[in-house]
Amino acid sequence: MITTGLIADDEEAPRAQLLAALSRVWPELRVDAVCTHGVDAWDAFLEFDPQVCFLDIRMPGMSGIEVARRIQGRSQVVFVTAHGDHALAAFDAGAVDYVLKPVDDARLGQAVERVRLRLQQPAGPATGELQQLLEQLAAQARRPPQLEVIQAGVGREVRLIRVEDVIFFESDARYTRVVHRSDGQDGEALIRTPLKELLTQLDPQRFWQVHRSVIVAQRHVASAVRVDDGNMHLVLRGRPERLPVSRHFQGLFRPQ
Amino acid sequence: MSGSGVDWRLLLMLPPKRRFEAEELARAIPEPPSRELSLAVALNIAFMVVGFTLAFGRQHWPVLLVLLLALGAGTAWGLHAVWRDPGNRVVRTVYYLGPLLCGVVAGLGVGPLALPRDTALALLVASLASVLCLWFAMVYRHRYVLMRLAELDERDRAVEMARRLAAAQIQPHFLFNSLATLQHWVAEKDDRALPMLEALNGYLRATLPLFDRARLPLSDEVAAVRRYLQVMQMRLGERLLVEVDIDEAALRLEIPPGLLLTLTENAVEHGVAPSLRPVTVQIRARREGPGWLLQVADDGAGLLPADGGVAPGLGLANTRLRLLQAFGEAASLSLDGGPGWGCTVRILIPDHAGTHA
Repeated sequence: MITTGLIADDEEAPRAQLLAALSRVWPELRVDAVCTHGVDAWDAFLEFDPQVCFLDIRMPGMSGIEVARRIQGRSQVVFVTAHGDHALAAFDAGAVDYVLKPVDDARLGQAVERVRLRLQQPAGPATGELQQLLEQLAAQARRPPQLEVIQAGVGREVRLIRVEDVIFFESDARYTRVVHRSDGQDGEALIRTPLKELLTQLDPQRFWQVHRSVIVAQRHVASAVRVDDGNMHLVLRGRPERLPVSRHFQGLFRPQ
Repeated sequence: MSGSGVDWRLLLMLPPKRRFEAEELARAIPEPPSRELSLAVALNIAFMVVGFTLAFGRQHWPVLLVLLLALGAGTAWGLHAVWRDPGNRVVRTVYYLGPLLCGVVAGLGVGPLALPRDTALALLVASLASVLCLWFAMVYRHRYVLMRLAELDERDRAVEMARRLAAAQIQPHFLFNSLATLQHWVAEKDDRALPMLEALNGYLRATLPLFDRARLPLSDEVAAVRRYLQVMQMRLGERLLVEVDIDEAALRLEIPPGLLLTLTENAVEHGVAPSLRPVTVQIRARREGPGWLLQVADDGAGLLPADGGVAPGLGLANTRLRLLQAFGEAASLSLDGGPGWGCTVRILIPDHAGTHA
């Protein structure tokens, strides 16, 4: 049976090496996404929904730990890292799957074997514990600076939009649409920064990603409506748009 | 001890103010006084007791002998106690009460014991001598412990530095990541394998002996830096751009080893690696005013206000300390940058700085 996978490493050779080693050790694995940094990896996870993710730890944009934290056990994660990583001690204590670079087939084979076993029994054990460990590790890590102002080109002017004024971000084919309410006046602008990069620079308490292509300011959400079995959308305060909530994020909206 | 002012405690012959903790004493004075020292002190006291008794005892010599023996034994015990702990509470108390005790002893001699005047005086002199001995011992030992503790702290710092340097030099993460790339290229018969191996080899050869020496010419250091950047460029590809601009005359400058390398590693680790866009690392050495400017700059991720990581702070603190050790206060290190603005580290080394070191 085919298993779907994702791999992420910011360096070319280790990425290629892992890919080659996986093809030998686990021929039934279909790698849907090969990502070059953490931001990419998270975005690809949302797009492809892979069953297993092989993540390098030190990556630009978002670390492997941060990506795994966001995945929240919805996919099996194997970390791929080099000796000397601070997280290794925690991994050993928390029984996290990891392989060391340079990757050797035997060690990778062991990790793959464990992942396969767990894939067969969908009720993954100790996910809560793993999640707790990841939260801890992510909290210790360097966080990218938070964005305060967005500079959007509108015609000849560059408009400065305070992040706190933003209602939601939506990614377009080539741009990111910024819908905001500044001084009681609603406005819109397009910026080039991809949504997936913006994500790491926003306060996760105030800005919620609810879809691969939508980040919404939580205080502007009026309600979440379940449309049918798999679908949910958000109703905003004073805006006509209905924002989709993809399956991965529906857990955010639960009655207390 | 009190800086520029007059040390009134010393002038008034009061015991030193500071008292040491048990751990400090155990650290500074791990052993009891040597047998020779104890014997020498005991003999001196014995001679004085016998001498005083012979000189001033006359018909009352047994009384004087007993009193002097008691005084001598007390002094010996006190000296021993002060040797082990300059702030010994009993000795201090006795010392504060010293004049009173002397008076009591002398008064006892003249009064109830009905000793002749010169015998009583001898007793008084002996008491004063004993008190004086204790004071000297307290002051001397106090100074000794202070200096010994400072010396031990200095030694611990040096050891810690050596340990940190050794740790900084190995960089397992860099090594294994480079090996991972190399291994893959060898397996794939990629043409880049050989140059990578050469660069890595050159880096290791340059860095391993680097830390043995106290100083090395900038030319050697720059060679190591270039090798390191070469390896990183092969690994990171176009994500890392490098500009090296070293003034010819600066190559002879002698600097603590690893100074530029540590800063360059920091720039790559914290400027280039976390950045989604290509980053330029710029290494410069040139004349500036009456000295040399060494500069490592990157236009990458930049300084973060609250950096949770251990490594950058450690590397920078190390560099500062080593500059201070090599050049004294004359050299300076400044750090500039902010989130998203990259980071620039500037080191200024004035001419003749630290030539005495």
